[in-house]
Amino acid sequence: MKVFLRLGWFFKERQKEYSIGVLMLILVAILQLVPPKIIGITIDEIGDGTLTAGSLGKWLAYIAATVLVMYVLRFYWRKMIFGSSNYLGKLLREKLFRHFTKMGPAFYQERRIGDLMAHATNDVSAVQMTAGSGVLTLFDSITTGGFVILAMAFTIDWRLTLIALIPMPLMALSTSYYGKLLHMRFREAQAAFSDLNDKTQESITGVKVIKSFGYQQNDIEDFRRLSQEVVDKNIRVAKIDSLFDPTISLVIAISYFLSLMFGAKFIVEGAMSVGDLIAFTTYLGLLVWPMLAIGMLFNIVERGSASYDRIESLLETPVDVEDKEGAIAEVPKGAISFHIQSFTFPRDEHPTLKNVAFDLQEGETLGIVGKTGSGKSAILKLLLRQFDQYEGTITYGGLPIDDYRKEQLRKAIGYVPQDHFLFSTSVYHNIAFSDEQANKEEVEHAAKTAHIHDDILRFSQGYDTVVGERGVALSGGQKQRISIARALMMKPNLLILDDSLSAVDAKTEEAILHSLKEERKNATTIITSHRLSAIQHANLILFMENGTIAEKGTHEELMALRGRYYEMYQLQQLEQLVERGGQDE
Amino acid sequence: MSKPSISRKEQAEVLKRLFSYLKPHKKAVAIALVILLLSVTGEVITPYLIKLFIDDHITPRSFETGPIVFLAVTYIVIEVANVVLRYLQHYKFQVIALKVVQQLRIDVFSKVHRLGMRYFDQVPAGATVSRATNDTEAIKDLFVNVLISFVQAIVLIVGVYFAMFLLNPLLAMYVIFVIPILVLIIYLYRKWSAVVYMTMREKLSDLNAKLSESLSGMSIVQAFRQEKRLNREFDEINEAHYSSMMRNTKLNSLLLRPIIDLVYFGAIIILLSYFGIASFDRAVEIGVVYAFVTYITRFFEPINQMMEQLAIFQQAVVAAKRVFEVMDETDEEPRQENTEKRITDGLIEFRDVTFSYDGKTDVLKDISFTVRPGETTALVGHTGSGKSSIINLLMRFYEYEQGNIFIDGVSIKSYSQKEIRRKLGLVLQDPFLFYGTVKSNIRLYGEMTDEEIEAAAKFVQADFIDALPAGLNEHVTERGSTYSSGQRQLIAFARTIAANPKILVLDEATASIDTETETAIQQSLDKMRKGRTTIAIAHRLSTIQDADQILVLHQGEIVERGNHQELLSQKGLYHKMYLLQNGIVE
Repeated sequence: MKVFLRLGWFFKERQKEYSIGVLMLILVAILQLVPPKIIGITIDEIGDGTLTAGSLGKWLAYIAATVLVMYVLRFYWRKMIFGSSNYLGKLLREKLFRHFTKMGPAFYQERRIGDLMAHATNDVSAVQMTAGSGVLTLFDSITTGGFVILAMAFTIDWRLTLIALIPMPLMALSTSYYGKLLHMRFREAQAAFSDLNDKTQESITGVKVIKSFGYQQNDIEDFRRLSQEVVDKNIRVAKIDSLFDPTISLVIAISYFLSLMFGAKFIVEGAMSVGDLIAFTTYLGLLVWPMLAIGMLFNIVERGSASYDRIESLLETPVDVEDKEGAIAEVPKGAISFHIQSFTFPRDEHPTLKNVAFDLQEGETLGIVGKTGSGKSAILKLLLRQFDQYEGTITYGGLPIDDYRKEQLRKAIGYVPQDHFLFSTSVYHNIAFSDEQANKEEVEHAAKTAHIHDDILRFSQGYDTVVGERGVALSGGQKQRISIARALMMKPNLLILDDSLSAVDAKTEEAILHSLKEERKNATTIITSHRLSAIQHANLILFMENGTIAEKGTHEELMALRGRYYEMYQLQQLEQLVERGGQDE
Repeated sequence: MSKPSISRKEQAEVLKRLFSYLKPHKKAVAIALVILLLSVTGEVITPYLIKLFIDDHITPRSFETGPIVFLAVTYIVIEVANVVLRYLQHYKFQVIALKVVQQLRIDVFSKVHRLGMRYFDQVPAGATVSRATNDTEAIKDLFVNVLISFVQAIVLIVGVYFAMFLLNPLLAMYVIFVIPILVLIIYLYRKWSAVVYMTMREKLSDLNAKLSESLSGMSIVQAFRQEKRLNREFDEINEAHYSSMMRNTKLNSLLLRPIIDLVYFGAIIILLSYFGIASFDRAVEIGVVYAFVTYITRFFEPINQMMEQLAIFQQAVVAAKRVFEVMDETDEEPRQENTEKRITDGLIEFRDVTFSYDGKTDVLKDISFTVRPGETTALVGHTGSGKSSIINLLMRFYEYEQGNIFIDGVSIKSYSQKEIRRKLGLVLQDPFLFYGTVKSNIRLYGEMTDEEIEAAAKFVQADFIDALPAGLNEHVTERGSTYSSGQRQLIAFARTIAANPKILVLDEATASIDTETETAIQQSLDKMRKGRTTIAIAHRLSTIQDADQILVLHQGEIVERGNHQELLSQKGLYHKMYLLQNGIVE
């Protein structure tokens, strides 16, 4: 129940809705006592022969008026309470999303997207349920249950009420016991289902193996066995699940039986009328729901509380890279100086970068080559300030990069990542990602510079073609070029191409590099690549190996060195030859 | 995902097909229905007993022991019997539903195994898994929750109405007036909720899509400083989802329980008016009034339950439609003629084979070559040169139309599937391990003895197994991720050797394997190839220097052929590949 306290801030915010809702709920709980009583009175008058056209009309009008008012109240309390719980869902999702947009790469490396999704959907639903059905069952079971019992005791007969209530705790006890059993068995059934799911997944991913051995039939048998397991486990659930209804009706039947027996006795004694007895049994029917609701309440609250814990702990995760106090709001520009003694990724044992140093003047191009894991990307990540904990200094325009606000630093850098991620919207909006107001000329100009314009015109809807799952399937090279155009839209002081020409052919690569040079005469560029042709014309080339610079210089210098760079160059020439089928161009 | 909306006609067809799954359970369904009828009878009788009690005993104040005890005992017996019957009925229907869903699952799964590789190329594995598990689970909800409560509700409503009719036909006629109103409410609710509920589901999936995309692309969003815009976009979708939820809440508040209760009291008013007016002329049996009140209460309970299930119904039908789509998939695996022909020598011949996956671009062009029994032919070439396609055709994963492939002079289409599978052993480039043990991975579903499995492991020199704590019984987790790629490869070798094929088809591993394991793998391969015809895709030219024949492929054609020495001396493509792989700079 503590979760209601912890959600206090929300109840306070929606104080009006909740007070009106609960008030209406209580009114309904009182009003619903009226019809049974009137039915009882009418029946008594019928029995006594005292009913007149006038009194009948009066009683019926009372019932009609009561139920109409109840209908309106029931509609509104649902709107108030369930509406507020919907609102809480919206609010929590918004909070989580805001938080997600603030978190850096370390946060995303540690968590799976599927889990984060589950928090924003399942956990939010569970909390929402607490604020909706939870509040409802809490108040409804207390008020309805309380008022019905009071009405029975005070307007009919308190002795009969006590007698009728004797079997009721049995219902609450047995249903909560079944609930516990059911929960356990249900978990087993879920586990069996998840085994079946894993099995199916495995069979489909390993379909080639199964086919190549001709074991399809055996695999189907195995599937049959596991699906039988699912059936068996679910039958165990059904055995308990089927107990609820009969138990409830048994308890009610006992209660009815007792009421009738003793009711008859009281009627004979003159303590009550037949109409009272009928009204009494109708009240008994009204008690079923509150009894069930109490059992349900615990379940809802338990789930909601666990989910709220998870949401809160997620919201409390601190942002990993923050602006320094007094950071300046100026977009950096000028020379870059990178002097790192050592950098280790959080949670890694060995340093990823050791003694990496270079200086880059404004307007120059830096090329970084090396195998996967040689530290190329780590250099870029530090420049982008995705990580802060390193030994050494990185300055941009003469100031350490953490003297700038993150916002301004990012404004200076156009980044084209390795995994060219595009959003499922039009090509146009993907390119104009950083500037919604961008006009057509600007977008087309960026596309032309990235040599993707002609490709886009060939798509069925040109620039309006939607990208991604529901849209056109783009080749890796096309995605890379759109990513480049997207970064160019920012007109960045520093353009970073993180291995983002790997999927375009040699000719296009050359053309792109050429137009970049034209376009960005005084701007700085950093290119990492597996392919040497992409960095051949750079002012400075770093050959990275095991997190440190193995060779450094211009293409000519490195070739003259006849070292690792030279060797790699020769092999890549040969590789291109093989790709062309051994024919010289 | 197919569109969530579904036409009335389609819905009827889907339901008909679902119901056909009940056929094998005819008897059980009949028994469950009889039990249901009995329990409804019980529910209908008890209010009548109470009516008797009120009218014959309380009102006239006559309390003879005999009849009262008889009434009480009957009441108790019926209630207890009813509890048992209701339990049995609920349980029986659930069991039937579970079995129906199991059959559906097996049917989907069997169908999936009959599909050709083309299907798996096109449809993501996750989608197919969903059809066999999640969608069938939604159908389970349809059977367990929706259909059962519908059947119960309808039988109960009919039974209660029948009882009212017996008790007082005229009043029962009046009460029938509420039925068109209820039908109208159900009709309207169904009509509107179908739209509202579907919109809500759509908005939810929009919300999830946005969330998942934003989370995957967060680094880009941050690099381009678009957090504010993203928040705004998310808020819009969140808002749309919220307002669709509100519409759903309002619709449910308007048309579910509150309005059914309103109609219920409408019926009570009819009832009281009837008896009230009747009482002006003559005495009315109060017990009958009581019985009617009770009957009307019982009449409305199942209607409420039924209405609450309507929303799930639509969703389950859509899921069922998707399941049937897989079952109706026509892209099945290539057919084999079921002849008695046997593969004895292992002479393979490709004759003028031209093949295309999509019917447009040929990935193999006029491929012809022969592999003599017991000899090894290696296929080399750049990615996309057609090496894998040759293996795919030989293994009968894809059907070809032009040219033909022969084994021992007989078209491979003429052998039974069993013969092809038994005599051709394929080792995949990325050896796939199943959850289980090393032993179960070598055996798969074969019928080898433990000794044979041990022998196979020994034969391929998978000596690392001896060093495992549990040896052959060592656990293998999902996809064998705890084993190195070399170890996985050796287990896959043992698997193939245990099946003892006549022809070996190898797709050599490219993954980086440490030198020690590589030597072990090389030695095993040499041993495996002895006495078997072998076709091998080689990524490392060093592994095929002793092949009897090497075919160099480029863009679907064989551009060079010969043995290692011959090809090297040609100074062509093979020569260049050789230099490249050995890192020799001329």
